[in-house]
Order: sequence, then structure tokens, then C-alpha cells
Amino acid sequence: MTTFSVLALLLFFAMWAVGGKQGAIAFVSLGVNFALLFLTIVLVQFHLPPLPVTLVAGTIILAVTIFFGNDDDNSTTTAFYASVIVMLLLLLFIVPVEHWAQVAGFGDEDSEDLEGMSLYIGISFLKVEMCTVVLSTLGAIAEAAMAISSGLSEIETQQPTITGKRLFGDGLNVGKQIIGTTFNTLFFGFFGGFLSLFIWFVGLRYSIGEVFNDKVFVAELLMVLLSFIGVLITVPMTAAVASWRLHRQPHQSQKKTVETKVDADE
Amino acid sequence: MNVKPKHSANWWVTLVCVLFGGLLVLGVAYDAPIYQRPIAKITNVRNERPVKQQDEFENQDATVHQRINAVLINTIHKGQKITLSNTYSRSGAMDQPYRAGNQVFISKLTRGQQSNIKGPKRDTVVALLTWIVISLLFVFMRSAGFMALLSVGLNAVLFFLAINIDLSLKNGNVFVIFSLISVVFAALTLWLVLGWSRQTVITLTATLSGTALAIIISLIVFALTHERGMHYEGLQYVTTLPRPLFLAETLIGSLGAVMDESTDIVATLFELQAERPDVSRNQLFLSGRNVGRSIMGPLINVLFLIFVADTFPLTLLYLKNGNNWGYTYMMNMSMGVIQSLISGLGIVLAIPVASFVASRLMKKRVMTDDNL
Repeated sequence: MTTFSVLALLLFFAMWAVGGKQGAIAFVSLGVNFALLFLTIVLVQFHLPPLPVTLVAGTIILAVTIFFGNDDDNSTTTAFYASVIVMLLLLLFIVPVEHWAQVAGFGDEDSEDLEGMSLYIGISFLKVEMCTVVLSTLGAIAEAAMAISSGLSEIETQQPTITGKRLFGDGLNVGKQIIGTTFNTLFFGFFGGFLSLFIWFVGLRYSIGEVFNDKVFVAELLMVLLSFIGVLITVPMTAAVASWRLHRQPHQSQKKTVETKVDADE
Repeated sequence: MNVKPKHSANWWVTLVCVLFGGLLVLGVAYDAPIYQRPIAKITNVRNERPVKQQDEFENQDATVHQRINAVLINTIHKGQKITLSNTYSRSGAMDQPYRAGNQVFISKLTRGQQSNIKGPKRDTVVALLTWIVISLLFVFMRSAGFMALLSVGLNAVLFFLAINIDLSLKNGNVFVIFSLISVVFAALTLWLVLGWSRQTVITLTATLSGTALAIIISLIVFALTHERGMHYEGLQYVTTLPRPLFLAETLIGSLGAVMDESTDIVATLFELQAERPDVSRNQLFLSGRNVGRSIMGPLINVLFLIFVADTFPLTLLYLKNGNNWGYTYMMNMSMGVIQSLISGLGIVLAIPVASFVASRLMKKRVMTDDNL
């Protein structure tokens, strides 16, 4: 057996043991997201417009990430609405920033990987870079939205009489508690993946000025900063959606409405 | 927003900080004099006719040659007018079009020879985005935002120090060094974000056990399967032994996520107890597992998307260069996927640990408080 298959099996059993059926489905979501990611690349390869393809795939990835393996319909619906809004808002940042920064494609440090390859492939790497940023931030947005909405849902369950305004405040409170570690998730996630690049920079004694104008480094840093912005918008957005939904549906009938809604979805 | 008189001073401080930051960003836009490398500002660009390009895989592209007039804005040659040239392709894998107003680094001026463009000046956009992030943090998160910023900043410094230590130890194992440093990372981060409390200790315990368990299990799997199907040649920018580097990357990559999750679980349990002080231990454990259960999927996907979405441009290039799906996956994505699996194990294992530790230790504290 390959290392991959043993690790995948282990992860599946661990998720199953901890999360039961939900956990098993959450494992499947990883596979589905991988397929969606690969499909996006293949569709772009066939010259479909990168950004629209990515937005459609992104919405599905958000849905899969949030709904697969979560039985709490109240918190997942809130998280999904909030994260789709955030993805669209974030795009308003990404497009001008990537146009301006000119970090699309590959840098000098990639030369070895590119040896013997044709670079004139007729697809705009600027657009591909925008798609990459959108896709890599989706997980962070979904996770932050989920953390806040599931926290709020716990509070709602334990305290059914809570008001929408109080709930919004609690949402910001949970947000304040998680923002530090969410930032660190992204920081470590991105920089862990680029440890080798940083060893390269330090080893070859790049100056600070060189690093902060280096194509590969700036591309990576912008990705981190844009995910930070995504997560920062997610906190008030999720709290707002949660309290809006609480206002819209009087609490007595809420459980019922949600249940019928899920039946319709299935 | 409820702006009470007591808080309005705070808002003024925030506003002044935000405006001051804006000025700094403006400063970075005009910081060319502090660079020693020559920088030119483009004043005028003339594009020639596009030239069609077709490669052996029948990809259609076009290149455009640009004649550029620019003026030097730093070094002793400041103010000197120069001509530059640039060729960009429609796809722009390693090139880009330039426009009037762009600032670019150029090669050293030599008499009788044209300078080459080395690349655009990118520090302003970095400064601008950093400023936006910091401003949003202060406006939405107040002091919690400051602590988040501080922890990320300090971690960046630690990260840099660790790399220096690693490079100065000629035979040091990068994995061992980063394992040790990650304990410091976790303790420092949680201390800054949560303060020094029982909540912090509970979270730290869960984080370290979850991560350590995942790495140990993976090492056992590596040994048992003889690392079959692992393609270290697919890793990018490798300058040292790839295996310990890969492990270190995975460890650091997952550390933040495991911390995040443990914090979410423990924080929600504390919040819950504040809302309903009579909740029982068992209920706390189950609620913790509930929270963990619902966020573990999204959290594993966070890392998965970071690790794998990043490979989009190179994967696309492989496919466009006539490589089949299997080889493309192997060279670009397979290592990221294995990294995601290992991180996933850490994330899942931290759930029972965090819920258990929290439900036991939290309750104890409240009872002692009541007794006092």
C-alpha cells in the first residue's frame, strides 16, 4: 500500500470515530473539494473564463465544506450565506490588488521547475493568480464562518430566549476570541508551506528590499493578507446573518422551518 | 456601534493610528531613495505590433514588444532620462506589460549600453494591504485585534530566527529544530491571544498532544509503507534534504490549525458556561465534541485548500505542456495532499483531547470558586 492510501484510511477512521456518520461525510468533502479544484484547473485549461469558473466552483466548494458532515442546519445555513457574501466582497479587493502587484505566474526562483517548458500557453496567468487567491482563501472563510455560527447556535440552543442584538454581540465576542488563532492558522498554513522558500531567501542572503519586491514572496504574502481581510470581513458578516435570521424567524417555529428546508434541499 | 463618552477617546486614538498608517503607506510609495538598486519611473510606453506565437503543443499566444521612456528617481543619476525595452506575452507567465507611471528596478547603468528592467517595485502594494488588515483589525476587534497582530508579528520574527538557527547549524535537522520551536510558537501564540489562564493551559495541552500524535502516527506509517508513492521531487524551492524539510513544513503548517480548533472548542465551552453556569461536565464534553465535529471538516479543508490551491498555476502549465493527469498530479499536488492528510489527523485527534481536558479542568475551577 502507498503512504497516501494508509494515511487516507487512517484519517477516514479517525473522522468516523470522532464524528460518526457526520465525520465520514466530512472526509468525503475533502475528496469532493479535490475533484472540484482539479476540475476547475481542467476547465481553465480548456480556455473557459477563469474567474466565472472559479466563482461557480468556489460556491460549490463553500457549500461542500460547510454542509457536508454537519447536522446543525441552523449554523450551516448562516455560515454558507455569510461566506458566499464574503467571497464576492473579497473579489473586489483581489482584482485591483493583483492587477497592481503584478505577481502572476512564476518568479526567478521557479526557473528550475520550468526548465524545458513552454510558457506561452495563451491563458492569462493574471486571472489564474486571482483564481488561486480566491480558492486558497475559501477554506479560511468557511471555517471562520462555521466557528462563529456553530458557537452562536450552541448559545441559541442553550438559551432559546436570546435576542438578535445580544446574539450579534456574542458573535463579535466569539470572533474576538477566534481572530488571533484564525490568523495564526493562516500564518502557519501559508508560511509552513513556504518554509523552503524562506530557507532559500535567508540562505542566499536576500536583502529586505529584495524580499519585499520579490515576485514569489509578494505573491505569497498578498495571499496571506487577502485571507486575513477575508476572515476579518467574515466575523461581523456571520454575526449579522445569524441575528438577521433570528429576527426573520420567530424562535418557536424556527426548528420546523429549518427541517422542511433541508428536506427540500435533499 | 455604541460610542459611549468613555470610549470616544479610544476611537480618536484608532482614527489617528489609521490615518498615520495611511501616511506611512504613502511614504513607501515614494521610498525609492532608500534603495541602492537603481529605480526608474516610466514616463512613456509605445507598444509594437503583437507577434503571434505557437508552441509544439499548439498553444496560441502573442508577444508584444514595448519601447519605454523612463526617468531615474534614485542614486546619483537621479533625473537622468533613459530608454528601456520590454517584451510581454498575453499569458504573462514570467513577463508583464508596463504602463506609464510604473516604478521599476533596472540593472546598473553602464555607458553605451541599455539597462534592463529587473522587475516592478512591489513594496507599496504590500504596505497598503498590511495597512488595510491592521486598520480592519483595530476597528472590528479592538484590543483582541492588537493581540492577534502582535502574535503574528512575533511568530514571524521567531520564524525568521528559527531559519537562521537552522542554517547556522551545518548538520542540524530542520525537522528537530522546528519541532522544538513549534512548542514555543504555540505557547507564545496562545498566551498572547488568550492571556495566561486555565483556558490557555487547556488549549496548549490539547494543541501539543494533537499535533504530536499526528506526527508520530505519520512517521510510523512512513516506516511501514517505506514511503511508497511519495514524490519529494515534487516539492518546490528545496535547497536541503527534502524529507525533514517536508516534515517540518507539515508540522508548522498544521500547528496553527490545531491551535485554532482547540481554542474554538475551549472558548465556546467557556462562553457556554458563562451563559448557563449550571451545565454539567458531560454536557460540556458533548458540546465540545459537537463544536469540534462541526468545524473539523471546514478546518481540514482550510489547510487542504492552502496546500493544494497554491499549485494552480504550475499544474495548469504542466497540463498545457502535454503532460497527462497522473504525472501532473504527482509532480504538483501529491505532496500537498499528503500534507493535508497528516494535518487532518492532528485536527481530528485534538477534538477529544480538547473536549475532555476542558470539561474536566474547567468544572473544577468553577467549583473551587464557588467554595471560596
